[in-house]
Amino acid sequence: MIRIALSFAGRIGRTLLISLLFQGVAIAADLSEFNLEQAPPNVDARQLARTAEDNMRSDRTFFKGEMTVVSPRLTRPRVVAFHSWEDSQEKKSLIRIDAPSKDKGTGFLKLHPNLWMYIPRVERTVRVPPSMMLQSWMGSDFSNDDLVRESSEVDDYDHRLLGIDTGQGSAVDRRSYVVEYRPHEGAPVVWGSIVAWLDIESGAPLRQDFFDEEGERLRVMRFGDFRQIEDRFVPHHWEMTPLDKRGHKTTIKIEKIEFDLEIQSSIFTTRNLKRRD
Amino acid sequence: MGIETRLAWRNVWRNKRRTALSVAATVFAIFLVIISVGMATGVHEKMIEDAVRLASGHVAISGAGYRQSMTLEQFVPWDGRLEEVIEAAPNVRAWAPRISSFALISYDDQSQGGMVIGVDPAREKNVSEFSQKVNEGRFVSVDPGPTVREIVLGRKLADRLGVGLGDEILLYGVAYSLETAYELFTVVGTMALPDHRLERNLAIVHIQVASEFYVYEDRITEVAILASEAAESDSLLADLEIALAARFGDQLELQTYEQIMPGLVQLILIDDAGMYITLIILIVVVGFGILNTILMAILERTRELGVVLALGLKPMALFRMIYLESMLLAGVGLVIGLSLALPLLAWLHGIEVPLGGDIAKGTELFGMEPTLTFKLNMINPIGSTITILVVAAIAAFYPALKASRARPIDALRSL
Repeated sequence: MIRIALSFAGRIGRTLLISLLFQGVAIAADLSEFNLEQAPPNVDARQLARTAEDNMRSDRTFFKGEMTVVSPRLTRPRVVAFHSWEDSQEKKSLIRIDAPSKDKGTGFLKLHPNLWMYIPRVERTVRVPPSMMLQSWMGSDFSNDDLVRESSEVDDYDHRLLGIDTGQGSAVDRRSYVVEYRPHEGAPVVWGSIVAWLDIESGAPLRQDFFDEEGERLRVMRFGDFRQIEDRFVPHHWEMTPLDKRGHKTTIKIEKIEFDLEIQSSIFTTRNLKRRD
Repeated sequence: MGIETRLAWRNVWRNKRRTALSVAATVFAIFLVIISVGMATGVHEKMIEDAVRLASGHVAISGAGYRQSMTLEQFVPWDGRLEEVIEAAPNVRAWAPRISSFALISYDDQSQGGMVIGVDPAREKNVSEFSQKVNEGRFVSVDPGPTVREIVLGRKLADRLGVGLGDEILLYGVAYSLETAYELFTVVGTMALPDHRLERNLAIVHIQVASEFYVYEDRITEVAILASEAAESDSLLADLEIALAARFGDQLELQTYEQIMPGLVQLILIDDAGMYITLIILIVVVGFGILNTILMAILERTRELGVVLALGLKPMALFRMIYLESMLLAGVGLVIGLSLALPLLAWLHGIEVPLGGDIAKGTELFGMEPTLTFKLNMINPIGSTITILVVAAIAAFYPALKASRARPIDALRSL
């Protein structure tokens, strides 16, 4: 018994030590590879983040697109077509898969904080449990968590302007503000920090790098094919490169996106999830 | 027997009671040391055996990087080449190929993430204890059969999902081809496992079924290998490493159970450290006991020692005699102690002594079965005997030196 207690104490001690060592030490992301200019002092970084977020989001949005997954495992890329409705006020969304045929009609319903999945072939509705959140979504480099996470890049982060990227280097091809987002304590965020390149002209995001607490870059997200929709400047091509998986890449091409729609709330129900349209 | 030995032997038994007490202390010490070490060895071996039989064996072969990611991405090519290498390696007790990955397991309105392991039941029964742990129903069939996909769940996983035998559950995951993988499986059994985490997460299917489910073709995620003994793990790993590097380059990764389960190794180390500290204290106390007995004896015999020195006995011969007395004292204790401890340990060897009550709960907390096991090996009695002899030799040095350095004239005058 004493021995068990001893070893138990040892374990607790180690855990304590580790948590003490790492407490609150978020290491800054290394950006030395990018040549940044000094930014003018009167720029509000938080406002920049808000403009960028508003550019992509509305209260109720319809989206239709195609996701392409590239992987060294595959001889030709996997293509998943889907469409979705989102009510960001109510934190609800519905995604319906259109292709490939094996997954046609599969639906994902997000009723914050839950994620439901319906598989028409076996006629089952499944709540995706928390333990599955970090698993790949539809074989892509996005996880289920990316679908469900309800964090705001404005409200859940502190923002700091790092400088101006001239757009001549490798990071982006337009002159842009480089802003660091650092999550608040306890925010529902998995990242240690995010560094965003925001177009000076339009305010739209051009690129986002995601880092963990140790300052290790995990993901690079690039936005392209900008098209003007009313007062928005919307990227129609998103490219996500996970840096921990060599040779993997997921791109999303938007075919159609509509903002500020009227969407009936009955669309976001498990009953509707089981309809196959 | 030389005259010195005979003299020493008689001297030892001059004060019978004092000697008996000193011998008793030695007997007690050697007995306790041997039984404790025997128990620790037995319990630790059982811990390792239990652990490797619920995990990846003594040595596991996987794709390089698999242990960090635990995904299908890092695979082992299963085209017969690896099989040949393992079959040719010495000291392999058994081996089994596996495909393990994470999947969503769902029944009715309950769902949970779980570790799904595809096994070859015929091989697996010699490597892991999964099939012996079935508490209800049966294990997956040796021949997977064309129609029904069979699955065996950890008992707690089945409870949480609310499934019984014969129920159909849904498995959903991502295949190696990055397609979605989903099928209905029929629950044929549940397993009661000592590791609760495993019991909540583990699902077992036939390796062929897993291979089709994950579109894994001629790949597997790992091979679990049991060495003939845990102590052989490192040499087995070295043998395999050389043979595999020649055929597979750096595509594969080999690990012993010590690398896969560092927590287990540390637990054993801490446990051993605690035990050895106690035993060392015990042996040192015995050493002081011997020192005290002999010191008292020569103080009583100062006159006598003075006489023999005056008669011309060489100080070195006296030193030898006193030294011999100490060693005889320890030797008698050791002989009696060994003759008590060894038969007892031999009898306990291989018996599993069940534990009850709070201790049982304590061991279950660590995912161990609540039993005590003992092991008799050569190193334990030999090591213990030598340790006590060395301590006795150190303890005897001072009295022997003191006796041999006495000046005859002073010695004769005293008392």
